Amino acid sequence: MIELKNVSKFFRTKHGKKYILKDMTLTLPSEHNIGILGRNGTGKSTIMRMLGQIEFPDKGLITSPKSFSWPLGLSGGFVGNMTGKANVKFVCRLYGKSEKQIQETINFVKEFSELDDYFDMPIKTYSSGMKSRLSFGLSLSFDFDYLLIDETLSVGDAKFRKKSKKALMKKIETCNVLLVSHDMGTLRDICDVGIVVHNGKIRYFEDINSAIDEYVAINKQ
Amino acid sequence: MIKKRNSFKIFLAVQNALFLRELNMRFSSGRAGMFWTFFEPFFQILVFVLIKLILFSSGQNSFDFAVFLALNFTAYNMFKNIVIKSTASFKANKALFLYKQVKPIDTIIARSMVELFITAIIILIFLTIGFYFNFDMEVKDLTMVTFGFIFLAIFSLAFGLFLAVLNVFVDSISKLINFFMTGLMFSSAVFYSIEHLPLSIQNLLLYNPLAHFLEMIHGSYFYTLDDRYVSYSYITFWTLALLYLGLWFYVKLERRIISL
Repeated sequence: MIELKNVSKFFRTKHGKKYILKDMTLTLPSEHNIGILGRNGTGKSTIMRMLGQIEFPDKGLITSPKSFSWPLGLSGGFVGNMTGKANVKFVCRLYGKSEKQIQETINFVKEFSELDDYFDMPIKTYSSGMKSRLSFGLSLSFDFDYLLIDETLSVGDAKFRKKSKKALMKKIETCNVLLVSHDMGTLRDICDVGIVVHNGKIRYFEDINSAIDEYVAINKQ
Repeated sequence: MIKKRNSFKIFLAVQNALFLRELNMRFSSGRAGMFWTFFEPFFQILVFVLIKLILFSSGQNSFDFAVFLALNFTAYNMFKNIVIKSTASFKANKALFLYKQVKPIDTIIARSMVELFITAIIILIFLTIGFYFNFDMEVKDLTMVTFGFIFLAIFSLAFGLFLAVLNVFVDSISKLINFFMTGLMFSSAVFYSIEHLPLSIQNLLLYNPLAHFLEMIHGSYFYTLDDRYVSYSYITFWTLALLYLGLWFYVKLERRIISL
């Protein structure tokens, strides 16, 4: 369950405040995979980050007893000079894993990401697809209540995409996702409920298909 | 389920991870940087010993000038590095703030710890060389010297935090800081003792808190020097004021720093 109470969020621009959310009160029920829809620039990613509590509203409160992953797909948390392995170790330590668990995670990520020799090379030598493979593999080895996924499923080659989708489908048997995507097929496959972001409001739909219909209608305006 | 951890445990896990990451970055970012870290103090000592030999001939001191320089530059470099690393810390680590448990101030603490660690290694290197070549390194008051280093480290952390918060809004700070540090080196009793200066300059330099710290450290180390110029209340005031201001701004701005 994620509760929003009188939440406002805006960005200051030269043309005054641009609101992403204006005085929004809403409760998102637990045990659902939530798709986040909206046009470019409406603030989907910001809202996802706020729900995951790594960004904060300007007014109001967002509360949840659940644990959230970091936003997947951004390779921002990696250090370019350090090897893939060292970066994996770093994240494991952040979450307080023991040395034994760290070793298990390293083996798993190395196998899953199919990076082979690159796993022991500095991240700066990676392509962006390789980075997201590492990031995705790493996130699978933690047990969060919610995974935050920002368009990652569309990165990587076709083979890896298929593999990661399969892994994700297995993962969501035990956890939930918040997914930002423009790919309606992916949204239908993974999510069962949806929210549509439009004009500073969030609308919640109990069925992902109605959310998609609404999104299509907004696009036609 | 992710285990619920208490906040102190989280803090320790984050510090552990950041510390090792910071060390790894130092070692993996090329040998030149690493070499300079350990060679810089020797270079500084060499330069000032030569200057002294050429300008003032030698031997009027009642203590070994090389040991004096080694002590002072170790303390000054620790201060300089903690402050410079802290100032740039928020911007350099902003990618890490997408992990919820990493707070901006954690990165400053971890970076300072790394500097302390490097300082400890440099002290060990100096001691080894000193014993090997039979330098006169006898300490008058080891407790006070140690206390001086710890006090200076806290002062550096407070100053670094204060500048780091300012640096969020005033971009030029991290560029000016190197220039500022050079000025401080000349005005902080690093390669001289306050008592060897004329009275008018003494009074001027004693406005600089760093000069008090260095006087305190070498005054407690050498039998022939003392801490008569040190005002402990003055440096305590500076430390508390900077810490208070730094933390006050930090608490107000933490969320803005996270979404920098």
